[in-house]
Amino acid sequence: MDGGYNSGYGGSSFGGGGGGGGFMPGEMSASPAGGKGEMNNNTLRPVTVKQILDASQPFPEASFQIDGADTSSIVFIGQVRNISSQTTNVTYKIDDGTGEIEAKQWIDSATADTMDTDDGKGPGVPGKDQIELNGYAKVFGKLKTFGNKRFVGAHCVRPVKNINELHCHLLEATAVHLFFTRGPPGGAAGAGAGGIAGAVGDASMGGADDYSADRSLPAMSPVARKVYSLLRTEPQSNEGLHCQLIASKLGLPPADVARAGEELLGTGVIFSTVDEQTWAILQL
Amino acid sequence: MSLQTPRILPSHLHAFHPNTANGPRSTNTVRLLGTVTSLRGDTATITCGNHGDVTMLLKPDAHLQMGRLVEVLGKVVDLEGGGGIGLRLLANYDWGNPADCDYKIYEKLVDVTHRYPQIFYDTGDAY
Repeated sequence: MDGGYNSGYGGSSFGGGGGGGGFMPGEMSASPAGGKGEMNNNTLRPVTVKQILDASQPFPEASFQIDGADTSSIVFIGQVRNISSQTTNVTYKIDDGTGEIEAKQWIDSATADTMDTDDGKGPGVPGKDQIELNGYAKVFGKLKTFGNKRFVGAHCVRPVKNINELHCHLLEATAVHLFFTRGPPGGAAGAGAGGIAGAVGDASMGGADDYSADRSLPAMSPVARKVYSLLRTEPQSNEGLHCQLIASKLGLPPADVARAGEELLGTGVIFSTVDEQTWAILQL
Repeated sequence: MSLQTPRILPSHLHAFHPNTANGPRSTNTVRLLGTVTSLRGDTATITCGNHGDVTMLLKPDAHLQMGRLVEVLGKVVDLEGGGGIGLRLLANYDWGNPADCDYKIYEKLVDVTHRYPQIFYDTGDAY
């Protein structure tokens, strides 16, 4: 996942990493204390404006957290509601239907008047990358505060012309949100299916609890995960379920289920009840 | 809190009606995506994929073009003469050729925004 975002980041007009591209030096002097920590987290995270507004900051000057994960670089798409050009920066008011936030792009005077780069160009520069009022724009930047006001220090603002890009961005933001709140998708047939295609009840607290329970589980094979999830969801007496019954319900060879059972017994998440082949979830 | 405008399909319009039985929503301003299929002076119709049509009441300065894909922002209202529920158009954005949009992605997005509202909309009330 990270690889994909990083390549997108590097590909968009500012060279990957700390290539000394005008912005980074200022960034360092702005927050000398937080500099080192931020350098370790260069992941570009797709977000919605609501997530930006909801991001928490454990203490002033600390890095922002979204879904409990440190977040410095973000990307979002919204409609440009206002453009305000100053001598040193351009401020865009961006609205994506979930909230509104300002994005400030500093004008780099060194590159502003050269024709062959898109860096640091403000609006009013005619060309394919011109931002239009009420048009859609994709903003890459870092979350910052000034006084009590939250804004995004934009590295790059570019117009969005294809609606699929907007929709995919919002879906991507959801996928990343779910990654951080529910852990990585499990086996193909397990938690993965429960993710986006799952039942409506998923969104309830019960659904979230199921996943947090999943996350605390030790690493296990896909078959073991299936067996565990069946044992958790299938109505049963306190004797649990027999190995043969699990095999038929899952449509798996009994030998595979037996092996998965041994694995689960070994890690102590299930226990055998009336005989060696009948298992129940070990509730803690 | 700034104005939030949920992305919806025509079948969800009733849920955002001001007098809906589910109790008042935090907003009855919504976003729809569709192709302009008819223009009749002060009303227009957009067709939302294969989810049916929505009639919109236009302001005099509204600018819509036949056959274009538009994202519309509007308030859910009753249509005059028992015409069901429609939209009073507040703003629209022209996305160009409907063939450039995969409507399935939008359907999935609407589904996801209602399934995981926590990152899209302040709810408090039933989603």
